[in-house]
Amino acid sequence: MAVLDCASTLSGALLERNFAPFFGTPCGILAPLYRRLEAAANLWTVSREDNAIGVAAGSAMAGHRPVVLMQNSGLGQSVNAIASLVVPYQIPMLMIISMRGVAPDSTTENIVMGRLTEPLLAEAGIPTATLDEDNLPAQADWAATEVIGGRRAAALLVPPNLFGWQA
Amino acid sequence: MNKTQAIRTVIEATSDEPVIFTTGYSSRIARHVADRPNHFYMTGSMGLAASIGTGIALSSGRRTVVVDGDGALAMNPGCLLTAGTFADLPLFHLVLDDGLYESTGGQSVPSRRVSFSALAEASGYADVWQVDDLTKFQELLRSKLITCRTPTFVHCSLTEREGSGPPPRVEGELAWYQSRFAAHLATQR
Repeated sequence: MAVLDCASTLSGALLERNFAPFFGTPCGILAPLYRRLEAAANLWTVSREDNAIGVAAGSAMAGHRPVVLMQNSGLGQSVNAIASLVVPYQIPMLMIISMRGVAPDSTTENIVMGRLTEPLLAEAGIPTATLDEDNLPAQADWAATEVIGGRRAAALLVPPNLFGWQA
Repeated sequence: MNKTQAIRTVIEATSDEPVIFTTGYSSRIARHVADRPNHFYMTGSMGLAASIGTGIALSSGRRTVVVDGDGALAMNPGCLLTAGTFADLPLFHLVLDDGLYESTGGQSVPSRRVSFSALAEASGYADVWQVDDLTKFQELLRSKLITCRTPTFVHCSLTEREGSGPPPRVEGELAWYQSRFAAHLATQR
């Protein structure tokens, strides 16, 4: 699938499953998805990822199905928000986390967080799925089953090149 | 005014609107004064009370009250930018300032040279108030809370000590408090 189609497909699949609103910090890997969501839905940029998690928590408790978009560096900023708010209070939200520091991104400053991301989410008890261009609608279904059906937080991990990003 | 008096005043001035209490003694005091389904006790995630309040006000359109602390605001002043960006957000953000991290042993908050009110105003809060007296605080809540349609900031200087030790921790399943709070918000839609 062409890279731009991946962003459209995922954006459409999330909206069809009634995910909204979207809160996030911009990221080069997520930029094509960000653009589509900005055009098609309520997407608000928040100045720091842990605040985006906090706003999404409020939105979820008010009955919405929020999505937080962030780079995994922002997951580092958000660890306490996830560990002491999202998980123990069982607040449902979807996180879409771009994976800096894994192939083909070899930037040194991102390698450690690239290594930490999956174990960190696993230890927090947040289920993850790594997006694959051939399975985007099925993976959006999985996210809806977890977050909307299961009333829990879940994360979709975005490989660096899914939407065409190049190092 | 001390922290317990301020929190009691907030609880008396509210009925069913969502109220978020920050971590530390504020949540413990609030639950001890009156445990109501419109209360959210944020026992961890220090600094995020106003962001949670922003999400509720933004998604529900309901007037939302946040009872924050000076230590928490100093930890995450970015919450002011998050709320201040929404001109029509009905967020009533109170900061109870005793200058201390009381629940961790009474250390001083390094904010003596900081104006939280100026920070709020610079971040986009349209209405900014300062009070240091219980009667004025009661009057402010009576007149301003009901008309709140924009990010509003109230800096409350706490000048008196607590009369007694802190009430017990928020016990039980935090998820239970969350679902009670969410169910309350659902009945208000």
